[in-house]
This record gives sequence, structure tokens and C-alpha cells, in this order.
Amino acid sequence: MHSTAHADLFDALADPMRRRIVDLLRAGEQPVNDIVAELDIHQSGVSRHLRILNDAGFVRVRADGPRRLYQLRAEPFRELDDWISGYRRLWEGRLDRLAEELERRKKARANRREKT
Amino acid sequence: MRRTVTIERTFKDTTPEEVWELWTTAEGIESWWGPDGFKVKVEKLELRPGGALLYVMIAVDADKVAFMKSAGMPVSVETRAYFTEVTPPRRLAFTHIVNFVPGVEPYETATIVELHGHGDETHLVLTLEVMHDEEWTQRAVSGWENELGKLAKAIAAR
Repeated sequence: MHSTAHADLFDALADPMRRRIVDLLRAGEQPVNDIVAELDIHQSGVSRHLRILNDAGFVRVRADGPRRLYQLRAEPFRELDDWISGYRRLWEGRLDRLAEELERRKKARANRREKT
Repeated sequence: MRRTVTIERTFKDTTPEEVWELWTTAEGIESWWGPDGFKVKVEKLELRPGGALLYVMIAVDADKVAFMKSAGMPVSVETRAYFTEVTPPRRLAFTHIVNFVPGVEPYETATIVELHGHGDETHLVLTLEVMHDEEWTQRAVSGWENELGKLAKAIAAR
């Protein structure tokens, strides 16, 4: 997994307007016109944001007659989740071992006390 | 403080001082740092802001050794970090420089450890910030990390 690819994913989500588009698309596939109406910004701005989301792999587009319909793709979200979860798992494992080490020390102290 | 991933633990029958020692001495770190299947040898530990923490992670389990080799990674990896805050026995912060993953550009991860004593228990709050640069971490990750997995599943289920 490449961190540069993750940087692109995060860059794509860093813009508040693009996060709003993602939120809108969570309800399901939407035509561009509905997204424009909902966001209250110019169509060219929406098109630019959708192009960036599409380049980063967050959305896919299909044509339905004259309409262009956008929907979310699962893969980049899963990739980001896996990446963040990896750090969580690493530290959960470490803290388990930290607890075990504290336990070992406690037992060693108790043993020393018994001997004296 | 930007919060990205937070993990909390309560350790019984111990004090913040004892837990602090396990985080801030070579012997303490080597006793638990891991990860599983790895042992750690601390080479340099300068416990002050800006001070270096250098350690080597060595794969010891046969399957870990095989995995590292197959992934094109060395069996022992030197890891560099530096302390950014040292307030015994309450608060420790350090930043890792991740520069050993093949095909991945170097990046930094910040870790903040907070210890609170309550009677004979010690509560630990660990905050992880994973960053390529500060801005995207702040703007993009915060508020999203808990939702990403659910979101991916929800999209896939459609």
C-alpha cells in the first residue's frame, strides 16, 4: 500500500464541498443536476469537484441518456479504513503486552516480598 | 490538539510512575514494544523535547521473518523517533519517522501518551496522528476515521 496514494485520497476528501458531495451520494446514485441544486454552487464548480473525486476513485459515473449519474465506490473508503485500522491494531497489541509486563513486574515484586 | 485515533486503557494495581518508566527507559520499552513476533533493542534514548529515540525492530518468529523477506523488507529495521513533550509522569509525546516501507515515501506519525492515576489504577489515553502533512490530517481525517469502515461496508452492500 502506498502512502502517496493515501495522500491523494486524503487530498480529495480535504475539501469541504467534496465531503458534502460524498455525503449526498451516501443516499445513493444521483444525477449531476440534483447535486448542483443541493449544493447551491455553479455547475462548473460541481463538475470540477466530481472530476477530482472521480480521479481519486471515490465515485463512478454512468450516462443515462443525456443525464450523467454519479455514485460512490467502496474501495477507497475501505483502503483508508484498513490503513487507519492498521495503526490501531499495532497499538492495541502493544498495550496488551504493556499490561502483561506490568503484571509480570507485580508478580516479581510479590515474590521478592515473600522471600524477605 | 487534533485527535485522530484514540485508544484508552486502564491498568490495575499500578501507578503512573511505573507505567511512565515502561515508556521512557530502554529496559522498559524493550519489555513490551513489539509488535508481536518482533523484539526491540533501544539504541539511543534522549528523554527531552527534541531528543532522539532510536531502536531496532528485529523479526524473531519464523513466520514474521518469512513475511518480511517476502515483502522485500529487511528482517531488522532501524526506527527513528524524537520526543516532542516530556512531562513525567503525566504526558509524553513523540513523533516517528516512517521511512522503511518499500515504495512508500517517508512520513511522520505523532503519538501522545497521557497517564492519569485514580487510586490504585492508571488510566492511559493514547492519541495517534498519522500524517503526511499536518493540513490534510487536520482537515480530512478528523471526524472520518470512525465512519470509514461503516461507509465502505454500506457502499459495498448496495
